[in-house]
Amino acid sequence: MLSKIIGNYYYMVAIILFVIGMYTMLTHANMIKKVIAMNIMDTSVFLLFVAIGYTHGGQAPIIKEGSEAIYVNPLPGALMLTGIVVAVSVTAYALSLAVKIYRYYGTCDYDEICEIRSQE
Amino acid sequence: MRITSRLVAPFIQIYGIYVILHGHLSPGGGFSGGAIFGASLVLIALSFNLEAGVKQISHQTASILESGGAFGYVLTGLVAIVLGGNYLANRAAGFPMGQAGQLFSGGAILIITVFVGIKVASTIVTLFYNIIEGEK
Amino acid sequence: MGFADHFPALIVVVLFIAAFVSPLLFRWVEKATAPFVIAALVAALIMTTALLVRVQQSGPVLYHMGGWAPPWGIEFKADLLRIFILLIVISVSLWIFIYAVRDLKHELKKEVTGWYYTLFALLVGSMTGMALTNDLFNLFVLMEICAIAACAIISIKEDRECLEASFKYLILSAMGTGCFLLGVAMLYMATGYLNYSLLQLELVETLTLYPRNIFAAAALFIVAFGTKAALFPLHVWLPDAHASAPSPSSAMLSGLVIKIYAFALFLIFYQVFPRELLDLIPLNEIILWLASLGTMFGSIYAMLQTDLKKMLAYSSIGQIGYIFMGIGFDHNLALIGGFYHIMVHAVTKAMLFMVAGVIIYSTGVRQIKDLAGIGRVLPLTMLAFTIGSASMIGIPGTGGLISKWYLSLSALEIGRPFFVLIILASSLLNAIYYMPIVISAFMHQEDFQFKVKPVPFFMQAALVVGMFFIVIFGIFSKPVVTLLEQAVISLF
Repeated sequence: MLSKIIGNYYYMVAIILFVIGMYTMLTHANMIKKVIAMNIMDTSVFLLFVAIGYTHGGQAPIIKEGSEAIYVNPLPGALMLTGIVVAVSVTAYALSLAVKIYRYYGTCDYDEICEIRSQE
Repeated sequence: MRITSRLVAPFIQIYGIYVILHGHLSPGGGFSGGAIFGASLVLIALSFNLEAGVKQISHQTASILESGGAFGYVLTGLVAIVLGGNYLANRAAGFPMGQAGQLFSGGAILIITVFVGIKVASTIVTLFYNIIEGEK
Repeated sequence: MGFADHFPALIVVVLFIAAFVSPLLFRWVEKATAPFVIAALVAALIMTTALLVRVQQSGPVLYHMGGWAPPWGIEFKADLLRIFILLIVISVSLWIFIYAVRDLKHELKKEVTGWYYTLFALLVGSMTGMALTNDLFNLFVLMEICAIAACAIISIKEDRECLEASFKYLILSAMGTGCFLLGVAMLYMATGYLNYSLLQLELVETLTLYPRNIFAAAALFIVAFGTKAALFPLHVWLPDAHASAPSPSSAMLSGLVIKIYAFALFLIFYQVFPRELLDLIPLNEIILWLASLGTMFGSIYAMLQTDLKKMLAYSSIGQIGYIFMGIGFDHNLALIGGFYHIMVHAVTKAMLFMVAGVIIYSTGVRQIKDLAGIGRVLPLTMLAFTIGSASMIGIPGTGGLISKWYLSLSALEIGRPFFVLIILASSLLNAIYYMPIVISAFMHQEDFQFKVKPVPFFMQAALVVGMFFIVIFGIFSKPVVTLLEQAVISLF
């Protein structure tokens, strides 16, 4: 059992990063921290996906002339390029929203914003 | 800082164009190459003031390049329909293929990568302009 | 292959072309932007109708992008259910867009109206893509386009409240997307396929080899789509987002966006996961109980509201519970009821939000208690509100009755009459908060207090179209029910 966990350590790291990202995104009050945590969560899933494609003893999947070698599966990597672009767009949009909210309220902290709104 | 950025910016742009054009041969492709190219324009706008950056690429040019890049991608897929294959088909529609490993091989992949690179570069520049000018 | 064979791809492509070209058109020829988007929507509608005729004659149509067959390529599939959803999405979007062109002039600044058209076209294009696609990763990309476009049409108004509501929606939606991608990773780890049909064939034996992966994927999918479609405990973003948005955006979001995520969940549970999964863990029970709680609590929260649009938003949470109940019963009559409710609720809730928009446009009133006596000043608008409320409650003659009828029939047939009680109780709760508005609008003693601007012609025409279709769906329901029966048979 323990050898299985240590043998698959990249899967474990990905899941631990995912949970850290999700917990921070939902509980911490600072808006910029939420955006960073969303990035950590997405990056951990990309890490998991690319790690799935690994074959033992494989090389980077660029074909050289005349060499018969085992290549790592390039499909998850190509899929995750698209995923990274999607995550970048969502981050850019979320940060611009955070900048606009900061300009209205003067604080980046969600709890303080709720207090300011409840006093009005 | 200004002298360095003025010297280095053309090299960054050439490197960005290299990454875009070799998207089907080595890692990289449209997204990363476009980001590198856009980063060079943002570097000029950051190290000088904003007007010098706007002189390099004006708002109108960036907007036209953005919409044009996306429209060109979709148009390439439609050309594949006209030539006889499915949407976005490559060899089945008759794009010129060439030898594997050469620069002008891969048919529609090169055309699509160039359009994506143009669009990503202009998007980064537009995002930068909007965030900086919103603060004034 | 003829030109008509490419229609599944061209429907999405035409809408994306409209989205990409709109900013340029708005910069140069301003008047032509709205007719251009309307032309694209009409073209998509014509293509969908042609595809419907073809699918009814010769069965489902599979379209391979780029000529590559799966598993190397992305596949678009058009069968009866997907085309039904496509027709609803495109026609309701066209109707809301015609209303929006007139209404946006007083809600948004002038220069961002071009961007609104782009976002609208992107939203409709991504929703049609989500209904047509047969590949999990393509679903992810289109889901993200839909999420960003949906958040952006809320925050384009640049008020304080809509910026915060949009940020909350974006963060919760991103959490849902992360869970969805992890679920796709689980399925890809176990089978190596991303196509729905190939996954369904492969998962039957993988379920015995790697059961925990499949369970984790199913749970993650319920959380992901539940967050985005406002299933009961995950609905917290919906009231702020739908209430503070401009009225056409609220109509679009409440009417179409949350439904398309429920439809994607339905597709994944019926066309990807095998039926044997339901013997191991009772997924449909979980969805059924959460949906029942949603119908009750949506109505209870709606009773306590004082703002008109927030009340309509909470009512949406209750109504989406009916659709999830249709998915959760696991019976063909319930699926007919659920899908009929998608159609009826899209039209009804869009019309109710348009009524709210017209009231705000002509009088500036948003609080419910200020609406007393408005029926004598804006009679057509309040007639539309009355018919919409009747459909929400389920009064015979309007479309809302047919969907509740089929849901109750199916609850009796599988031997669980408790859910008939829940449907009746939630209808009663709906009446408790809709009827007082209608009664006080028409029969209040004093006259209406605020100044009234005349309502433009296009907005009134949009309301009349909505009323007409709600009554048609209530009385002449046979064609649509026959279509749905044909569509649902293939799933059992």
